[in-house]
Amino acid sequence: MKKDIRILVVDDFSTMRRIIKNLLRDLGFTNVEEADDGKTALPILKQGRIDFLITDWNMPGMTGIDLLKTVRADPELSHIPVLMVTAEAKREQIIAAAQAGVNGYVIKPFTAVVLKEKIEKIFERIT
Amino acid sequence: MKNKIATLEYEGLEDLLGQMARELVETIDKGNLSHAMELINDLQQARHQVFYNEVGHLTRGLHEAIKAFSSDLDEKILSDNGSSLTAMTDASERLGYVIELTEKTSHETMDRVDRSLTLVDRLDGQSERFKDLLLLVGQLEGEFKALDGVYDRTCAVKNESEKTIEELRSTLTDILVSQSVQDITGQLIRRVITLMTQVESQLVKLMDMAAKVERLTGIEMGEQSSESTEKDAIRAQGPQLKKKEAGAVSDQDDVDELLSSLGF
Repeated sequence: MKKDIRILVVDDFSTMRRIIKNLLRDLGFTNVEEADDGKTALPILKQGRIDFLITDWNMPGMTGIDLLKTVRADPELSHIPVLMVTAEAKREQIIAAAQAGVNGYVIKPFTAVVLKEKIEKIFERIT
Repeated sequence: MKNKIATLEYEGLEDLLGQMARELVETIDKGNLSHAMELINDLQQARHQVFYNEVGHLTRGLHEAIKAFSSDLDEKILSDNGSSLTAMTDASERLGYVIELTEKTSHETMDRVDRSLTLVDRLDGQSERFKDLLLLVGQLEGEFKALDGVYDRTCAVKNESEKTIEELRSTLTDILVSQSVQDITGQLIRRVITLMTQVESQLVKLMDMAAKVERLTGIEMGEQSSESTEKDAIRAQGPQLKKKEAGAVSDQDDVDELLSSLGF
């Protein structure tokens, strides 16, 4: 797994962004950018420098599921792996995310081990 | 009779209906049909009136309860926190303040965790330097009989301390991750804020309606709330409370199972 990949973390709670960022740092990923909802995430994604997207679902402005759909519908962005980290835990929601093309789904609250596992699993499948 | 109906409450309804029904039967027996029709009208009006009166009472009670809750909270917050919160007269704002406060303290906790992790890194560095010194002891051990066994014993201490450092690091990470509760509670509070805003606006509508029938009910309404501002509703569902009942999965294992059944 390349450690210098650029990761975008999207969550409206700064607490959660910081937690994920710190856990990523522990895993050796230090190239992390942040956005607080889908709307602010999109311009960053469109700059074309993001290799991996971690997003929450429930956010004002633009939700994570809409962001995921937008990413998958954009030929420039559709290749980016997306990990959903969210408190949304209804079966229909998880199925909807899977159908929209999510690469992994972690429900909050999560442990460092689970987040690490899911990220590694996504990279295994990609490479 | 008319007078009785105007102030009629649910408790008195049965008695009044019985009384009116008997009067109706008597009137019909006497053949006074026009008075009988009047009585039927009164009966119908009594039913509506009870409904209006009850709504009036309910609305006023709700309004009073909310006012009392507000002033009660104001006093408590004021006594705890000085006068900085005098402007927070709105319950939704108070809840917003809770989110803000927990966010701030979460970050403060994480600042300390970060600082502690830096200290752990420093311990790690010291352990490396210790290893160099230890090698020196190992070399000297052969030359000085008194040093016999010191190398091994010191090595054991060093290994133990490295394990402790590792444990410390993972505990600090746990503290970091546990701050995610701020996100979860924040989302739940936002849902309550949305609900409260909706209830408030419905309440104002209800009071408007009640005021319109005031003429009929004769109930004095309290002052109407002017706080009818509708705030943007926050969409999505938020954290699940009654997981199994709500058709939600309960933990990460369930999510994984569901995803793998979908071919993931």
